[in-house]
Amino acid sequence: MNRRLLKERLSMFALYGLTAGGGLILAVILITVFTKGAPALSVSFLFEASRNFGLEGGIFYQTLGTLILMAGAALVCLPVALGSVLFQTEFLHSPQLKKIFRLLIYSLNAVPTIIFGLIGYLFFGVFLEAGVSWVTGVLILAVMILPTLHVSIHEAVETIPKHYREAGLALGLSPGQQMRAVILPQSLHGIVTGTLLGLARAAGETAAIMFTATAFSGVDLPQSWTDPVTTLQTHILVLAQEAANPEALTNAWGAGLVLLAIVFILITATLWIRSGLEMEAER
Amino acid sequence: MIQHSMFHEKGPVFWWTGLAGVMAAGTIVILFASLVIESVPVFKAEGISFLWGVDWFAGENYGALPMIFGSLAVTGLAVVMVLPFALASAILTSEFLSGRARLMVKAAMELLAGVPGIIYGLMGISLLTIWVRDVFGLIDGNTLFTAGLLLAVMILPTIMTLSEDALSSVPGELRDTALSLGLTRMETVTKVVVPQALPGLAGAVFLGIGRAMGETIAVMLVIGGIDRLPQPWFNLFAPGQSIPSKIGREAAEALGFDVQWSALIALGLVLFVMVMTLTFAGNVLLRKAR
Repeated sequence: MNRRLLKERLSMFALYGLTAGGGLILAVILITVFTKGAPALSVSFLFEASRNFGLEGGIFYQTLGTLILMAGAALVCLPVALGSVLFQTEFLHSPQLKKIFRLLIYSLNAVPTIIFGLIGYLFFGVFLEAGVSWVTGVLILAVMILPTLHVSIHEAVETIPKHYREAGLALGLSPGQQMRAVILPQSLHGIVTGTLLGLARAAGETAAIMFTATAFSGVDLPQSWTDPVTTLQTHILVLAQEAANPEALTNAWGAGLVLLAIVFILITATLWIRSGLEMEAER
Repeated sequence: MIQHSMFHEKGPVFWWTGLAGVMAAGTIVILFASLVIESVPVFKAEGISFLWGVDWFAGENYGALPMIFGSLAVTGLAVVMVLPFALASAILTSEFLSGRARLMVKAAMELLAGVPGIIYGLMGISLLTIWVRDVFGLIDGNTLFTAGLLLAVMILPTIMTLSEDALSSVPGELRDTALSLGLTRMETVTKVVVPQALPGLAGAVFLGIGRAMGETIAVMLVIGGIDRLPQPWFNLFAPGQSIPSKIGREAAEALGFDVQWSALIALGLVLFVMVMTLTFAGNVLLRKAR
């Protein structure tokens, strides 16, 4: 065998080997979550309140808390994200301003989530006097997922064919009418996928809410604006720190599996919608 | 003419979108300004030596160096460990897989990039720390190395998929030319595609490092939580602390306005500056690649 061929074979072997290694690690992680989490799952685990500091009972209120925070964040974020995209695409005409706007949004996307927690607490917890509460959590997460929604919606609005807009303009539509009749319906997929991705991001976030929105025990549903919630993420966090206790660990894995399922369902839905669109485009 | 009149017709739609736009774009400015303003008290108390002080005793003195070192060590370690795997799988996916298989891999990576940090943290605390302890014969498995290893696994999907984008954006004609000159497929990759995609690959790595540096929860659970420089400094099998893990551990007890809170915000400011520099560099490189 000549040396070039040998080198080719060897490097291909290394390529496959390393890729298999990486893939294997990721597969092991998923399998671990499923095998460790599955034994904890049962109807009562899903629908009962936790007892004895999470060692017994279920994760009903934790799941509700996660859902409340993520849904609230998406609800608060959506009008702002939509508005900022429309402002950028419909009212900003200078390329420089557009560029700066884009840069600011992209920078926001890179901010470590713990910083959203710190400054978010200062603004919503202290200045708005919401304290450590679900409202503070919702607002912090809404800011955190803003770039996710913005980028997704922006992409959809930017790819609307030019003649759709021109048709609207030719009919003499005002900017408001143009948005309602042309832009919103044509970018609906971006709004949906962006919101789903934002929900997934909010559901997976722990650092930004652990000291701003949640309490560990003695909490079920918030009764007022300033009540803390309990969430799957922080529930796992507290149980994980008692890793020496097998009961705590089993319940942590169970909660982890539920959390992972929520996130995966949201991302899969996004991918599914997107691939459907691609197929439509190919037709 | 039409655009001109659109801009001047300031209906409710203009005000709603304008307000939203200002909120969206202004958030990052407010964030940065708050970090600067709120970290003033600790810089007044400690001076600029806050940045290289090595002791942190809440209520007495505040030095950030162990946390800055911890962040750099953990992130550097993660990047070194993840690069071979991420690049190999990116090259394989972009250059050797069929279109359909490529899309499947990309979808899987997108899914994996969404796995919450707390899941990795749980994995780290219940399995990885024990594993590291036994394999390396340590007393305690909560070390900088453990945190770096966990981070490496966490950022694998992100770096892989961004690198893959950079590789597959290299025009196909270059590959055809190289192959027609008699280069093997692997030679085409190493001598033509990778050099062409280098700025994009570097950009992908920078963005990945930025992401890794800000990761809080998983690192916090396995890093050991000791605010000390390891002795000697290159001993990464010692417990340490990163900036996000320090903030995560202390924020709840410091919530408020005293110097400890300000010191945590100042740590946040240091983190912010480091991450933004990386992200900015990454984006410049990515734009250059296009």
